[in-house]
Amino acid sequence: MSSKRHSILPAVSAGPKPPVHFSSSITIAESALLTGTNLITISSESVIHPRAKLDSLAGRITIGRRCVVHERTMIGAIGTSGKVTEQAVTLGDYATVEVAASIEAGNTIIGEGTTVGVGSKVGAGAVIGKHCTLTPHTEVPAGEVIPDFTVIYSNGMRRIDKRGVADLKNKGQARQIDVLRRMIPTNPAKFA
Amino acid sequence: MSRRPPRGEYIETDTGNKVARKATLVGTQNIMLGGKTVIQPEVMIRGDLVRSIQSSSSSSSSGTPNNTAVAIGRYCFLSRASCLRPPGRFYKGAFTYMPLRMGDHVFVGPSSVIQAASIGSHVHIGARVVVGEFAIIKDYVRVLDETVIPPNMVIPSFSIVAGQPARVIGEVPEGGHEAFELRDLYKTVGNNPQPPAS
Repeated sequence: MSSKRHSILPAVSAGPKPPVHFSSSITIAESALLTGTNLITISSESVIHPRAKLDSLAGRITIGRRCVVHERTMIGAIGTSGKVTEQAVTLGDYATVEVAASIEAGNTIIGEGTTVGVGSKVGAGAVIGKHCTLTPHTEVPAGEVIPDFTVIYSNGMRRIDKRGVADLKNKGQARQIDVLRRMIPTNPAKFA
Repeated sequence: MSRRPPRGEYIETDTGNKVARKATLVGTQNIMLGGKTVIQPEVMIRGDLVRSIQSSSSSSSSGTPNNTAVAIGRYCFLSRASCLRPPGRFYKGAFTYMPLRMGDHVFVGPSSVIQAASIGSHVHIGARVVVGEFAIIKDYVRVLDETVIPPNMVIPSFSIVAGQPARVIGEVPEGGHEAFELRDLYKTVGNNPQPPAS
């Protein structure tokens, strides 16, 4: 073990700096990690927490409006296939990706208002409908298509969310983002 | 201890906290450590998510705004890659985060994510556990590996919980309280660790 480094700064992470297209109203923490070679687009008012990792090596990453990407998430993970597609991951508006969730690259689509729970894994090419809820540690296999309003819980059980609270949830998300933007110091210039 | 380099893996504070240099503590000014707490590498604590609304009927009427986001007691042990973050919810029509409180002798297993409102003392949380927002875990609770505790669940004292979603599957047996003691575990990590007492 070489312990020559005495700097407290993190080591410069390997990997190319991706081209980015940010809306001016986004909140992105300085310690978020963006790597890859393809375009990363983040639309207005979305929040990227510290230490979230976005990797566009396998294609473009598009994040919709008012999304929240929590810490330690991995968006655009190159899965077992390692294929490069034009569009790696698309997050619809109001989507939430919670702590330590991982979304594989390969035309993966997360629908509007969907919550990907803590530590969940979404396989390459999976298409998740609108307003779905993936509870913690859910694993969605590659290529799976999940209809709108599905709740996946308890190791793969499914039901349909009939509460009809999608609009309320979206409003809540907007309020949450208002609070988060005051708390998370943003530095989009670092990634430009 | 005026030992110069080699610098250890941990930072040891005056109160006996051992914090790994590779841990990510965000918003350190809002994180309270009671002392003798071990924070292993890759642990993340979100101290920046502070309460944004001060409750008017708060118990502390001293007037000083309490900005603690995460409060941890003595002899807690946060294993590698665990994550503590304060829970958030709507309160009086506005969104706010609420403080996460943890008692003494709490063990948090590797890769667990804790978003509880409060965790009592002598609680053992296994590996890859998810504790949902505003869950309340009382004293002497054992949470087995890979449990998913749903939001707002209240777990009574002396329970053993497991499953996704979590259910109480048993009780901590009489005399099984010694196992929650973390003083010995505390001594086995740090810059000059002692071998575990067998």
